[in-house]
Amino acid sequence: MSQHGGLQDKAATPILLGMVNIRSVAPQDLAPAGLAVDDLSVDFDGRSVLQNVSLEVAPGEIVALLGPSGCGKTTLLRSMAGLERPFHGAITLGDRTLHGPKTFVAPERRRIGMVFQDSSLFPHLTVGQNVAYGLHHKDEKEARTREALALVGLSDLADRLPGTLSGGQQQRVAVARALAPEPRVLLLDEPFSSLDTTLRHSVRNEIHRLLVSLGITTVFVTHDQEEAFILGDRVAVLHEGKIAQVGTPAELYRQPVNRWLATFVGEANLLSVDEAPDDCTTEVGPVTVTTPIAGPAELVVRPEDLKISSGTGGTVEFVEYYGHDAMVQVLLTSGTSVRVRTHAEETFTRSDQVAVSYCGPGAIAFPVGLPNNDC
Amino acid sequence: MSEPITQAADQPRAGVGRPAPALTFLALAIAALFAVPGGYVLWRTATAQVDHLGLLTSAATLDPLWRTVQLAVLVSTTAALLGTGLAWLTTRTDLPLKRFWRIVVPLPLVYPSFVGAAAFLSGLTPGGIVHDLAGAAGFDLNLRLHGLFGAWLVLTLFTYPYVYLPVAARLAALPRGLEENARLLGDRPRTVFRRIVFPQITSSVAAGALLVFLYTVSDFGAVHLMRFETLTQTIFRTRLFDQDRSFTLAFLLLALALLVIATERTVARRGARSAIISNQPALQVPLGRMKPLALTAISFVVGLALFAPAISLADWGLFGWLRDQNGTTALRMDWSDVIVPTWNTIWISLVAAAAAITAMLPIAYLLARHRSRTGDLVNTVVVAGFAIPGLVVALSLIFWTLHASPFEFLIGSLPVLVFAYVVHFGAQALRTSQVAVSTVPKQMDDAARLLGARKFRRFFTVDLPLMAPGLAAGGGLVMLSTMKELPATLLVAPIGFRTLAVEIWSTYEALYLPETALLALVLVGISALLTWLLVVRRASHLA
Repeated sequence: MSQHGGLQDKAATPILLGMVNIRSVAPQDLAPAGLAVDDLSVDFDGRSVLQNVSLEVAPGEIVALLGPSGCGKTTLLRSMAGLERPFHGAITLGDRTLHGPKTFVAPERRRIGMVFQDSSLFPHLTVGQNVAYGLHHKDEKEARTREALALVGLSDLADRLPGTLSGGQQQRVAVARALAPEPRVLLLDEPFSSLDTTLRHSVRNEIHRLLVSLGITTVFVTHDQEEAFILGDRVAVLHEGKIAQVGTPAELYRQPVNRWLATFVGEANLLSVDEAPDDCTTEVGPVTVTTPIAGPAELVVRPEDLKISSGTGGTVEFVEYYGHDAMVQVLLTSGTSVRVRTHAEETFTRSDQVAVSYCGPGAIAFPVGLPNNDC
Repeated sequence: MSEPITQAADQPRAGVGRPAPALTFLALAIAALFAVPGGYVLWRTATAQVDHLGLLTSAATLDPLWRTVQLAVLVSTTAALLGTGLAWLTTRTDLPLKRFWRIVVPLPLVYPSFVGAAAFLSGLTPGGIVHDLAGAAGFDLNLRLHGLFGAWLVLTLFTYPYVYLPVAARLAALPRGLEENARLLGDRPRTVFRRIVFPQITSSVAAGALLVFLYTVSDFGAVHLMRFETLTQTIFRTRLFDQDRSFTLAFLLLALALLVIATERTVARRGARSAIISNQPALQVPLGRMKPLALTAISFVVGLALFAPAISLADWGLFGWLRDQNGTTALRMDWSDVIVPTWNTIWISLVAAAAAITAMLPIAYLLARHRSRTGDLVNTVVVAGFAIPGLVVALSLIFWTLHASPFEFLIGSLPVLVFAYVVHFGAQALRTSQVAVSTVPKQMDDAARLLGARKFRRFFTVDLPLMAPGLAAGGGLVMLSTMKELPATLLVAPIGFRTLAVEIWSTYEALYLPETALLALVLVGISALLTWLLVVRRASHLA
């Protein structure tokens, strides 16, 4: 990224404050609309990509679609935009049916804004022309373009060509372009994944503030759990074409509905036990179980629910130091490795002899050997 | 880092979706038009009242066939060697003046083969520069260029750029990591070339050699001037009094061209190419003591292929002009005899280029955006159109318009000429159009849709501006080929429609050499300008 670009990226944020009244033109039409997906199924050449997916996004809410590659999250987003045609199900925006048994509203008439993973800015048009592309009334064009560029803090770049901008600036122009026609919903398809780490954080932060202050209904796709948790009011996790769970980040983290989700969302130690009563005995000592099971089970124990003290019972295999905390992997005498999050000040080194114990609020258990175990 | 994989898995639609019926229909209709000349040749051959087997096995058939194959194999082999060698020298060695060589080495492309042949021949005749210089030095040089040797020399010199351009582009773009890894794994430079570089460039060499082969079998002017009777000569000679023979031979020529294309395709499909294109400068080999030898060789080739014909033409032109000025013998032409053919040449080739792009665009969309059986079929038909020699296209169009009653009014009209050009050269625009279409990301179109733009607006505000450079390059290639085309123009052009190629041909046949030279210089000048703009500057597009 160029020196100039760097300065631009930093200088952007303050301008946001005064510019929030983007909806001043016709308020009743622009009140944020809710988006509902009902029993949606999508096929590609006979291969099922989405199966009976239902999801409701409240007006003004930010929902993340999270999932591993190939889970169908991008397809769901593109179906909302009308870029894919589901063969079954319905999509409604506010009280308007976008897709249904006899309805298909073309993407260009949906009033949905979308930002793609790679910059899809038109390379032959200037930044200003790009932003103005979706505006049709001559008299509002100039003002709305200026307003939208100001929102993302890039007013002075209106005459530049996209190719001369940094990656972060390009994505911000893409956001401005999507917002300029005042869409009722904004869709973001992995918008930050093509940016490098530092830039990703600052652009993400800035877009987050913008979305919150505009109060626009937003759905975004990501494969990055951290990003989903940071930006999403709620997160919908997709797995193999189905919605595995929808909930707030805390719900997903603390009450995953199955074993796969427990390991996909955040780090988890899975401790095998022969039976899981309220007060269960495990390799790391007694653990409180919130969902007792009679019979063989696996307990989901987050790394921060464990603690280490000097003693016996385990050997430190290695330490990952993160600054704000550290992750210690301990090989228990039973032969299992567990990961433990510790304070950064607690210093352990390789091959230290340690004792591991449970200190969390209670673990959930999943039965072992049942077919519905893996989603 | 794992992101590209995610994308691929999440968007299985890219490039697969079902094409719109209108697009399929349009592409099929265009393909049907492209199939007319070839189809007519087939039909005429099948319905001819002759003993096909006897005709095919007669010496009158086998002799020109044998000469054609002989010449085509010789020319494509030597052009492949020459083109690859020059490409390696200009991209991978420390040859001095590399930038200069890179500009001039592909330039012999500007000579139509018959102009090149005429330049060589006229340089050697009395009055020509070689003959006169030798005479001044006391030799009575009686060098004659003709037959297989003459045709081979001329065609090789003017077709090696077809190999040079793709191979040089490929060599320059080959990621150096490949070779560096091979070196680190223990191979010596020579072995690296054999095991790594050569396998990576073979498909480019083969593609170039194929073009040379097709050019040679369909060449009309150069072999005629060299008095070397190949199939095109026999077809041309027999077209009036023995149409059945003419069409049977045309069919033979067609079959030969298609056979070679099919072979090249099966060979090319086997090679795995590194898809990575590198922007780093390619690895270089120091020439060391071989440097003077390399310089001599490259100077010799460029001197012979580029400068010798230019000097010979300039000499004749200057001679004629001086003679005209001092009143000894007036030139048999005036300004209008230069301006009219030049203007005709430019506008007819512009029209052909525009028509070719218009015809290729729907097909390019079908091929680049969708994978369908229709697409494969259409592609094959269009590429086959390129393989059909211009003479055969012309022959079939002439007799088709002559015999097909509702189309008689088209005989000898400009639309038929443009149609002949488009069928013959359309494929050249197809590849660049395809690249142009695929450079517009589907996502860009999606973005425009979500901003409320309908199909029409999206095409004109997003697709077309983005494709413009690629389309212009394709159109330029068609234009260049059209200007240099001789046999189809000779046969199909309306009587009295004078183009530079036709005028050069007729003045040479009348042995008005100074006039030939002046017209040839104009043609070569225009085509040099176009070549420079389209081919040399964007050579990487042809890899």
